[in-house]
Amino acid sequence: MKNTVSGNFPAAARIGIGGPVGSGKTALIERLIPALEGRGIGVAVVTNDLVTREDAERLKASGLINPNKVRAVETGACPHTAIREDPTLNIQAADELVNLFPRTGIVIIESGGDNLASTFSLDLVDYWLFVIDAAGGDDIPRKKGPGIVRSDLLVINKTDLAPYVGSDLEQMKVDAIEVRGDRPIVLTNCASGDGIEAIIDHLSQSVLFDA
Amino acid sequence: MRTLTNIIGYSTDHDISGQLHALSYDDRVEYLLLNREDTHRHRLRVTTDKGTDCAIALDRETNLEDGSVLSLDDDGAIVVRMKQEQWLNFKPRDAAAALELGYFAGNLHWRVRFIDGVLGVAIEGPEKFYLDRLASHVSSGLIEIVANE
Ligand SMILES: Nc1nc2c(ncn2[C@@H]2O[C@H](COP(=O)(O)OP(=O)(O)O)[C@@H](O)[C@H]2O)c(=O)[nH]1
Ligand SMILES: [Mg+2]
Repeated sequence: MKNTVSGNFPAAARIGIGGPVGSGKTALIERLIPALEGRGIGVAVVTNDLVTREDAERLKASGLINPNKVRAVETGACPHTAIREDPTLNIQAADELVNLFPRTGIVIIESGGDNLASTFSLDLVDYWLFVIDAAGGDDIPRKKGPGIVRSDLLVINKTDLAPYVGSDLEQMKVDAIEVRGDRPIVLTNCASGDGIEAIIDHLSQSVLFDA
Repeated sequence: MRTLTNIIGYSTDHDISGQLHALSYDDRVEYLLLNREDTHRHRLRVTTDKGTDCAIALDRETNLEDGSVLSLDDDGAIVVRMKQEQWLNFKPRDAAAALELGYFAGNLHWRVRFIDGVLGVAIEGPEKFYLDRLASHVSSGLIEIVANE
């Protein structure tokens, strides 16, 4: 038998968070960490940055998580390659974190963020979220990028900013449902924490099994 | 919720196939119908054909396959069955159309196969998604959709 980690399960869950740069992926992780830890689920994070370690440094300095539980993968030019075609570096980083912290229940992997076409390899993660910015234009779901269509959970973030740029949230939701069928969608405001519990509920149901 | 954390064996294993056969007389073999994509996951929540809610959590080295047996005792068994893959096949009009189609499919990271000058695209989501993306290529005659052989 292998080492038993993460409670009653043989391995920690791994989830991916993708989406364009600036859509709020790191902000979402900053909300998820306390919410998950509050439910007794140990969190570790792998970030993917183009050339810097900015996201990792930001999380390490946040006070939300033991800095040793955060790893940065530097992806170089093409961030989506590291989460799809060749996820080796990310798999290694996640393995290392789980070995160091055997009570980890979930490893969150943040993509470097590129365009709407990025998807996660299911060899790397068990479940993935795609975060879009409601203030980035309400036509985003209509563009039908693979992230929007195929992610396990679509997160429409920055709902608080939608009114300021004339984005029609209802229309975004309708368009997203149209392209996603019955795959779920959650609206969030990471500035206030609205919608975070709904995301946790989806994670509980689909990968954490703690409900 | 039934929690399933390892693969006991395969439905083709000699001993197991005998047990499954015996259980099947009482209709006590349940199947988890999965698409190819889902078999890559190490955690997933799925319902069997008989309605049992299953939470699967495997270690990172174990992979689900067609015929993986996740539970087996005198009362019943739970077995993975992989869904038949669906393909959309596109035939380009000429070399220029083929280049364009290849570039397009690659850019969208579609999983493809090539058979006798026909590009097959694995349907991993709503079929409409693929057809919408190629609608103008089809209507302009650059490519045509051909039936599965
Ligand atoms: N008002 C508002 N700002 C947000 C929200 N989510 C993220 N932001 C801000 O948007 C910027 C980009 O967020 P970040 O998490 O770094 O995006 P990432 O590149 O996807 O990781 C930061 O300044 C965040 O504080 C939100 O829901 N509402
Ligand atoms: Mg970030």
